[in-house]
Amino acid sequence: MSKQLLQGNQAIVIAAERAGLGFFAGYPITPASEILHELVGRKYIKVMQMEDEIASINACIGASLAGLKVMTATSGPGFSLMQESIGLAHMMEVPMVIVNVQRVGPSTGMPTFPAQGDIIQARHGSHGDYFPIIFYPNSVEEIYRHTFSAFNAAEESLSPVLLLSDGYISHLYETVELTNYPVVQRGRPPLGAGNRHFTGLTHKDSCPVTSSPEVHRTLLAHFQKKCMQTCANYNFYEYIENDTADTLLIAFGALSRAIYNFKDKYGVFRPIRLFPMIEELKDFASRYEYIVVLEMNTGQYCYEVESLLHREVELLALPGGKIDIKEISDKLQELRQASSKQVTIN
Amino acid sequence: MEDTMRFKRFLKEENLPTPWCPGCGNGQILKSACQAFEELNFDKRQVVIVSGIGCAGRSAGFFDMDSVHTAHGRAIPVAEGIKTANENLKVVVLSGDGDLLGIGGNHLLHATRRNTPISIICYSNEIYGMTGGQVSPTTRLNTKTVTTPEGNKDCPVNVQAIIKAHNCFYARSTTFHLAHLKKSIIEALRHPGLSFVDVICQCIVNNGRRVGFKDAFEMLMYYKNNYKINDNTELLKENEIGITRWTSA
Ligand SMILES: Cc1ncc(C[n+]2csc(CCOP(=O)(O)OP(=O)(O)O)c2C)c(N)n1
Ligand SMILES: [Mg+2]
Repeated sequence: MSKQLLQGNQAIVIAAERAGLGFFAGYPITPASEILHELVGRKYIKVMQMEDEIASINACIGASLAGLKVMTATSGPGFSLMQESIGLAHMMEVPMVIVNVQRVGPSTGMPTFPAQGDIIQARHGSHGDYFPIIFYPNSVEEIYRHTFSAFNAAEESLSPVLLLSDGYISHLYETVELTNYPVVQRGRPPLGAGNRHFTGLTHKDSCPVTSSPEVHRTLLAHFQKKCMQTCANYNFYEYIENDTADTLLIAFGALSRAIYNFKDKYGVFRPIRLFPMIEELKDFASRYEYIVVLEMNTGQYCYEVESLLHREVELLALPGGKIDIKEISDKLQELRQASSKQVTIN
Repeated sequence: MEDTMRFKRFLKEENLPTPWCPGCGNGQILKSACQAFEELNFDKRQVVIVSGIGCAGRSAGFFDMDSVHTAHGRAIPVAEGIKTANENLKVVVLSGDGDLLGIGGNHLLHATRRNTPISIICYSNEIYGMTGGQVSPTTRLNTKTVTTPEGNKDCPVNVQAIIKAHNCFYARSTTFHLAHLKKSIIEALRHPGLSFVDVICQCIVNNGRRVGFKDAFEMLMYYKNNYKINDNTELLKENEIGITRWTSA
């Protein structure tokens, strides 16, 4: 075992290499570019700098079907370009890891400032129905560990797995214990081994079936089932109980690091696997009168929490790349005062 | 099996018939590709077929080899990923003119620059066939289509120039000149770098009939009369088909 001082993006690269990465295709974008830089020149990893992110994810699809473990890395603008082919990769059951180091959007926004504005895009950005597994760690040590999780979950589910980061976590330096976590190998034979037809069309047994609702529904059920089965092994979250508190705070990624400051007054829940959502949250949430989701956007995960819990959830929206403990503390106080006023009026 | 039918071993006959209209030229290209594979004695487990989206894009589903039917315009980067991952595979792209030169045009530009050793067979029916006959990047000047009722005012893409600019292999043929088409595909498959075969093919339903052809046969006769074979040139003229000369740089 060895400890090393690493940047978040470097940690992703070292973990990916140890998890068996064989191919990377990408296009430069801050704050994800260090991943591309660090991968160049490694002996067993083929690296292609493509003409854009669309080419990158499609080259990854090809290389993955050809038998290699593959990864691409980008930020919001590039992630938007990849969306159509993310759906294709789900439809063709192509394992891969997609890293999205979030920055402030929409559009070019505030490059290099951290954001959490791609939560909905990560879950729902492609067209049609699909069931992505999405991890979002909050430290360099954790992103190292969950890069392994992402590769393994991709192999187990034969689907693209998203590893979310943000400009803060990816550029942070922390010491990491370079543990060799177990690695899942590919079960399916590579291209050249048979007469299979991988297609984005609805299909059954390697054959397009484009006019049967039953076949389509069966296919979606299959996707959902293997996603849920895989997730049972990747149920990652952090929960800090506070039995004197009436409010549970929910946060993830960079922002969640600030929330630990409030654990004396609040319960804290931090999903590491954002999707599929952590079922245990239902139980934890039932112990509190109020639920507040804090996120660096104008409310994206908040709606997901609301629909999981079937109850009202408050939002503390912090877009624009700023994490300020004093601001958060003041705003939390305001929220509580507002809702206690409501209680007395009622 | 009769020798002339041996190409059929590359087809998944149980998936036939194709969804293509009566008179369509795509089947001839599919067959010519299989004949070229047969002539080169390819091992089915060493070839991977990649297609994009469109009528031509359905080609991948009819081969008895591993095949990938990608998103619209994305056959080339998928093929490059496959080839880069496993250079022992022969990777062949079969797709349409709109797919390869329109929505996927940027990928072609950069794949030729990288000279990735893949073979690309372009079904150039000069129209967006599958979506109902809209103008495509290869539609000739002044041609009437669903979206150019007054005639196409934009210059068709000079694909030969793009391919040759990066010193890749370029051949042009038609679905009338079947012996030449087969030979073009064979030479493309033998080429060590990126090769491109531009196949002019008839789409009677969504193109030909709108510009005055009575049937597919008339379109083929037009190819016969209009195109002269020239296999001994650096650069083909507009009314020529041929396998252009290639010299390693
Ligand atoms: C991203 C995207 N845009 C549009 C379409 C609709 N579409 C399907 S096929 C096609 C045109 C294909 O034309 P071409 O490549 O020339 O093939 P052909 O049908 O003529 O053989 C289009 C625009 C699509 N499937 N995906
Ligand atoms: Mg076409």
